[in-house]
Amino acid sequence: AGVPQDPRVLDSMLPYLTAYYGNPHSRTHAYGWESEAAMEKARRQVADLIGADSREIIFTSGATESNNMAIKGVARFYKSRKKHIITTQTEHKCVLDSCRSLEGEGFQVTYLPVKRNGLIDLKELEAALQPDTSLVSVMTVNNEIGVKQPVHDIGEICRAHKVFFHTDAAQAIGKIPMDVNNMKIDLMSISGHKIYGPKGVGAIYVRRRPRVRLEPLQSGGGQERGLRSGTVPTPLAVGLGAACEVAQQEMEYDHKRISQLAERLVTKIMSEVPDVVMNGDREHRYPGCINLSFAYVEGESLLMALKDVALSSGSACTSASLEPSYVLRAIGTDEDLAHSSIRFGIGRFTTEEEVDYTVQKCIQHVKRLREMSPLWEMVQDGIDLKSIKWTQH
Amino acid sequence: GLCVTRCPRQVVDHYENPRNVGSLDRNAKNVGTGLVGAPACGDVMKLQVEVDENGKIVDARFKTFGCGSAIASSSLATEWVKGKTVDEALKIKNTDIAKELCLPPVKLHCSMLAEDAIKAALADYKLKQDPGREESAKA
Repeated sequence: AGVPQDPRVLDSMLPYLTAYYGNPHSRTHAYGWESEAAMEKARRQVADLIGADSREIIFTSGATESNNMAIKGVARFYKSRKKHIITTQTEHKCVLDSCRSLEGEGFQVTYLPVKRNGLIDLKELEAALQPDTSLVSVMTVNNEIGVKQPVHDIGEICRAHKVFFHTDAAQAIGKIPMDVNNMKIDLMSISGHKIYGPKGVGAIYVRRRPRVRLEPLQSGGGQERGLRSGTVPTPLAVGLGAACEVAQQEMEYDHKRISQLAERLVTKIMSEVPDVVMNGDREHRYPGCINLSFAYVEGESLLMALKDVALSSGSACTSASLEPSYVLRAIGTDEDLAHSSIRFGIGRFTTEEEVDYTVQKCIQHVKRLREMSPLWEMVQDGIDLKSIKWTQH
Repeated sequence: GLCVTRCPRQVVDHYENPRNVGSLDRNAKNVGTGLVGAPACGDVMKLQVEVDENGKIVDARFKTFGCGSAIASSSLATEWVKGKTVDEALKIKNTDIAKELCLPPVKLHCSMLAEDAIKAALADYKLKQDPGREESAKA
């Protein structure tokens, strides 16, 4: 689902899309200096949001690139002595895919399972650590089910074992307080468009003390301390910085408002419709990402009714393999319930009217689709669906 | 594509205004019931036909757990079987359903399941007329 850009962010970017078009890396003229100053201000704004030093912030094209950099970059730098990486089964595809590609290079990867509530077991993490582990990568907030991992505890464990801790914080920063020192985070991926900033920009936090080294993915003119060559897109960086600053100001108010709206949505739906399951821990979560399974109703068919609301489904009718979401599978959701899941996103610009509209449509269409569902009919007739021998095509 | 004017609305139309949703009496001798698919796959179709003494399908109903294309495929299937004889209905192909609804490649399995549902319903009907005969309905 897309997220709108905050108008304050757009305002901050406009001068750099029009009048101030200098290359921020050009040291020799005033146009360059203006752009450079703007870029450095943005860097500080990003750093301030996470309690980092601005020298530790590198601009990238987005969290996907940042994740690639963190995982491949650290693994490859330390590969002469360390060949093992730990991550989880519920990470974003770009993390999982980066790990898979490293396996192809001869690295060993442990994909930690998660409990039914979506959280990792800290004892399992500790047990998985090996003397040759270079990196642990665990996302802070999951993009499908909204659960929040115990990053503070993970940081403690990793620091004690002298293993670098990377977290994909794309869904977390600007929404919940993050502090790289309190949480003992060594690398962090940041996404611009997830915090109402522009698309096409993100950042990676790379700790200086103790120093984290990484092999750059992108070779070139040596920009961004040699870690990420390429001209930094000043307007986008400015937008990311502004988005971070705005998020810092709005965080508390947004969190309270979004929590109320989320509570409203879930309570209203669950009070009107039976057989609805919330996926992921009820407590350790970010409230703005809600994943519900509506038993006996297929997710995509429900989405058709809600097409003017920004939602997505855990069903995979459009995927070639007909396999539902791997995140839902990892938390042990029955396959038919996984096909019946919908993710609701509530954000800074979501209104109460939109929530009520979504709720009303959702209730109306779940009821309608259940009337059309052979599964609902069988359950009403007292048939145990698990006792049926289903055909396969 | 070729069906640009008609097709984009077809699936949505069947979804918003499905034809023949419901159930017939599965215990009636002249009703055939087909249940195909699996909840774990995200696609289950129940299709029922009512056949008169001349072997003509006079009524049909469906219920589907599945995406918009699955709903449309089974809805269309009930429309098409009505008025046909059992043997004529057995000739309905998934490719015809997919073409009528302009299903993209990734949704072709929905039309295949609808064809299976028709065949399963008709096989069930035939079995009820002659219980002694072995039917390999699920071949």
